[in-house]
Amino acid sequence: MKIISIHNLTFSFPKTSIPVIEDFSFSMGEGEIVGILGQSGSGKSTLLRLISGLEIPKAGSIKIAGSEVAGKKTFVQPEDRGVGMVFQDYALFPHMSVKENLLFGLSRLLRKERNPRVQEMLELVQMTDFEKRYPHQLSGGQQQRIALARALAPKPKLLLMDEPFSNLDANLKGSIRNELREILKRANMTCMMVTHDKEDVEAICDRSIVFGKHGEKQSEVLDNESSLTYVR
Amino acid sequence: MNTESVKQFFRKDFNGWWLVSLMGAAMILLPILFIFFSIFQEPNENWFQIREYLLKNYAANTIILVVLTGVLTAASGVSLAWLIAAYDFPMRRFFSWGLILPLAIPPYIAAYTYRTMLSYTGVVQVTLRNQFDYLINPEWLSISSLRGAVFIFTLFLFPYVYIICRAFLENQSSSFLENARLLGRKPFSIFVRIILPLSRPAIVAGAVLVIYEVLSDYGVTSYFGIHTITTAIFQTWFGMYDADSAMRLAAWLMVIIVGLFFIEKLLRQGRRYNISSKARPLVRQKLKGFPAAAAVIYCSVIFLLGFFIPVVQLLAWSRLTFTKVWNDTFFTLLNQTVFVGMLSTALILLFAVIIANVTRSHSSGAYILSKLATTGYSIPGAIIAIGVLALFIELDSLLAPFYSYMGWGKAPLILSLSLAMLVIGYTIRFMATGFNAVEIGFEKIGTKYTEASRMLGFGVTKTFFKIDLPLIKGALFSGFILTFVEIIKELPLALLLRPFNFDTLATKTYQYAKDEMIFEASIPSLMIIIISVLSVAVFQMIDKKVKK
Ligand SMILES: Nc1ncnc2c1ncn2[C@@H]1O[C@H](COP(=O)(O)OP(=O)(O)OP(=O)(O)O)[C@@H](O)[C@H]1O
Ligand SMILES: [Mg+2]
Repeated sequence: MKIISIHNLTFSFPKTSIPVIEDFSFSMGEGEIVGILGQSGSGKSTLLRLISGLEIPKAGSIKIAGSEVAGKKTFVQPEDRGVGMVFQDYALFPHMSVKENLLFGLSRLLRKERNPRVQEMLELVQMTDFEKRYPHQLSGGQQQRIALARALAPKPKLLLMDEPFSNLDANLKGSIRNELREILKRANMTCMMVTHDKEDVEAICDRSIVFGKHGEKQSEVLDNESSLTYVR
Repeated sequence: MNTESVKQFFRKDFNGWWLVSLMGAAMILLPILFIFFSIFQEPNENWFQIREYLLKNYAANTIILVVLTGVLTAASGVSLAWLIAAYDFPMRRFFSWGLILPLAIPPYIAAYTYRTMLSYTGVVQVTLRNQFDYLINPEWLSISSLRGAVFIFTLFLFPYVYIICRAFLENQSSSFLENARLLGRKPFSIFVRIILPLSRPAIVAGAVLVIYEVLSDYGVTSYFGIHTITTAIFQTWFGMYDADSAMRLAAWLMVIIVGLFFIEKLLRQGRRYNISSKARPLVRQKLKGFPAAAAVIYCSVIFLLGFFIPVVQLLAWSRLTFTKVWNDTFFTLLNQTVFVGMLSTALILLFAVIIANVTRSHSSGAYILSKLATTGYSIPGAIIAIGVLALFIELDSLLAPFYSYMGWGKAPLILSLSLAMLVIGYTIRFMATGFNAVEIGFEKIGTKYTEASRMLGFGVTKTFFKIDLPLIKGALFSGFILTFVEIIKELPLALLLRPFNFDTLATKTYQYAKDEMIFEASIPSLMIIIISVLSVAVFQMIDKKVKK
């Protein structure tokens, strides 16, 4: 089954004439990991926001796990889409400790399962000693890891990541990259990942798509495993 | 906006929060529309009288007051802001907040204080007579005139311009100034050629606040016997019992305000400066010798006249009447004031939070909603009061069958005699104060936390209580204080809408002053001033914390 399928998606911000995304179609099978590459400002974050329900498309439709979440007549609110997201600027809640941040997304889990899950996630991102800290007491890279853990914790059907590694040093990046791929694969989680780093794509992703500049039609195959698509 | 985007809005953004916001907006708009539509009704005979003999004169007085006060507050506000922002001189730090304090004294209190001080038995003439054996021409000291009102308004409202200009100059002007200095310009020419044009938007913003206050004023003008449109509204309603004409006058005053609104737009736009966000703070120049002395004297005179002297005078009077006024009746008064103030502030913040939470998404319609929520501030208290009164009387007559069914008598006035009227009036008038504070809070946190929470499975409402509310606590607190103080100071609205036998500090003060019981008025006046000063102090503290 396709976890996500997008048909002829078009979107523009209010009061702007040129669409950021135009007539975009794309689909992903379960367990696939897809990288999204493209220049700054080309609409990568916007695509993730559309999939997650933070923006509403002008035209076209989005289906998640077979059911339409955005289309001509439907719009499912973000909280009901079962999509996880790692934000470009982390968005860790500043008034909550690391642990509370992770617990936040686990309200649908049984009470006794919550703490073990938090521990599991902290181990994954190698942050076990930091659960009592507050976000402002963490470095940029540490915040990023917590953001990653927070998004993974509820086990979403679909995980969206907006440059999840941009603030990590090469060492950490390497180890998290490998582990992330393993976790995603083990959980059979489907994942879209925006990145500037072709190494990320090679290490983690099964295939990738490239976003081009306005007006240019371009498409590029970046790795051997699959074909790419699109763009504009 | 086309039908497609309207549909999109309903699918994505419309929810209970929007619904409540629209109800709030309707509550604000209804009384105002009520007044507006009175223009289209058939006028009565009295109105022709008023229009023929009085309106021109009233309008002229109003406009003269507004123009003179506007110009003078702009001049004093920006010059003081410039001194404090750009120069260092003895006592500068003290003046930098001391010059805000005149705002803590409502102009009507200043008006009766100054008039009494300058009267034949007042401290000025008595001192001159007894100590210096000098008989001053009382004409010179007569303050009950247009001139006197301009003096009072300028002295006690200029801080609006001062605060906005100072913040602007401190943060935004350094690069322009440094360039001008490097080009060898003299300070005065820098002020005229660079500072004035540069800070025009800030000056206009401050002056417009001042003008709204002047248009709204009833206390100073009625006490000094100056006829303005606002005093005329009171007179036609209470003197002639002619509600229709009062509403018509109110509608005309609204026309002036709408005109003013466009003038403001015109003055503010035009030149848009590219002001960098990474502006460095201004480095202050040290003043020495004569210029330093002149700066100190200028600031001192304004501070003494605008705060110190009236407060000392009020303190002296309060000693004379302390035992007479400071009793249970006064505590009841205090209780009532605080109660109605808190109740209204809470209602305002409730709506402010709901509306601001809706408008911060910047979805279609959000802009209009935020404009609607804040219209009350630019509309004088008297107009709002008339609108609310008329609306409530209308409601009572609509509900009359229900009342008689309940056995409450035939066509009683229930709503229009209740405290609800005053609370609604305050809410409409000061929604903007609360809303702006809350909006700033939301702007500071942005939307990312809210979005993150929704991605973790929480809806708008749960997200609000778990994420947004804890993060805007500080903004809510400052919004609460600001709004509360505005309510405590408001006079015309309270005079018109209070239930029978219900007094607030403001109305009691005004009543005492009008009955020439000046000494008795001093204690409630001081109470209002203390509450206002405390709020200024709280803000200084918050400001310092933020800067650290
Ligand atoms: N709120 C907005 N209103 C109008 N235009 C916007 C808004 N947000 C983004 N844009 C524009 O939409 C385009 C796509 O933005 P988007 O954030 O999706 O880019 P991106 O590919 O994620 O870039 P980056 O790699 O820098 O994160 C940009 O050209 C941007 O200027
Ligand atoms: Mg982006």
